[in-house]
Amino acid sequence: MHGLYNFVSGPMVWIAFILFIGGCLYRLVSLASLAKEKDTAVYAYMDFYYALRSIFHWIIPFGSENMRRQPLMTLFTFAFHICLICVPLFLFAHVVLWKESWNISWGFLSDSTADVMTLIVIASCIFFLVRRLTRPEVKFLTNRSDFIILAIVAAPFITGFWAYHQWAGYRMMLILHILSGEIMLIAIPFSRLSHAIFFPLTRGYMGSEFGAVKNAKDW
Amino acid sequence: MKKNRLALYIAIAVFVSVCGGIAFSQEDIRTVADSAFDVRQIMRPPVRFLHDGHNEKAQIGDCNVCHHAYDEKGQKTDDSSEGTECSECHKPETPENTLALTRAYHLQCKGCHAERKAGPVMCGECHVK
Repeated sequence: MHGLYNFVSGPMVWIAFILFIGGCLYRLVSLASLAKEKDTAVYAYMDFYYALRSIFHWIIPFGSENMRRQPLMTLFTFAFHICLICVPLFLFAHVVLWKESWNISWGFLSDSTADVMTLIVIASCIFFLVRRLTRPEVKFLTNRSDFIILAIVAAPFITGFWAYHQWAGYRMMLILHILSGEIMLIAIPFSRLSHAIFFPLTRGYMGSEFGAVKNAKDW
Repeated sequence: MKKNRLALYIAIAVFVSVCGGIAFSQEDIRTVADSAFDVRQIMRPPVRFLHDGHNEKAQIGDCNVCHHAYDEKGQKTDDSSEGTECSECHKPETPENTLALTRAYHLQCKGCHAERKAGPVMCGECHVK
């Protein structure tokens, strides 16, 4: 178990972060050069003001028409994304590990808050899964990769919750927790999880085209 | 009746002081405790640690393996620092922020365990709920 733990908490962390950061930079640069080559309108129409206006409306809960039409989905998706980002960054156990390795630290959530937020992430994943399986218009657009992505996102939170509570198989669960977190980091640039980095660009371009060209709202 | 109650008080007092004596005596340390850790603020359960049993198992004979000492230039010396609380050198940043002290403990315990591939290295192996 020591060898496995040392690997996932040592070299594997470096591999994951290099692929995550390097992969994100690669995807951004290749997207920018692809647009320059094949879709020059993107550069011509991109407008900072209209881009920010659109992004602003889409990151406010119920800020867009589509969100108001799907209130349950809106609630889940906002709760999910807020918890998904805050829990890993501000979990006490993670802050302690940053302190240990790099001697840097920042504020952290109480364990009970993080526990509830983790449950929100898991519950949201179940909601997204049920939605994909039951809503005909969503089911029609769903393929196997959607379930794999959902599993990649849910796994670090399920295993983390399990390990925090030190239920049966704690050691194996902690190793799986670290590994699943690393898999998720690596998957971000190379799967549709890349919306995390592309969101401001795609939304920004839509906003620019709707705002400056069509003189219309896109929210 | 009153006599019985007095006897009970004495029995409790003896029990508490004996237990306290066992828990805090230098020879038989059972948990990792530092006065800088405020029990009302700690985020994790204290670590169970049997001093003598640990050293026997890990075959540590010299005190300065763990109770290290450094000179003014920051060079490690052969002296040992047992009897000095860890927090005297590894000072908490503020009374509330003891992460620097936590870090010292983690690097000392976990670092050695990871290197020797023996002993607990995962959070919950030491901080058992």
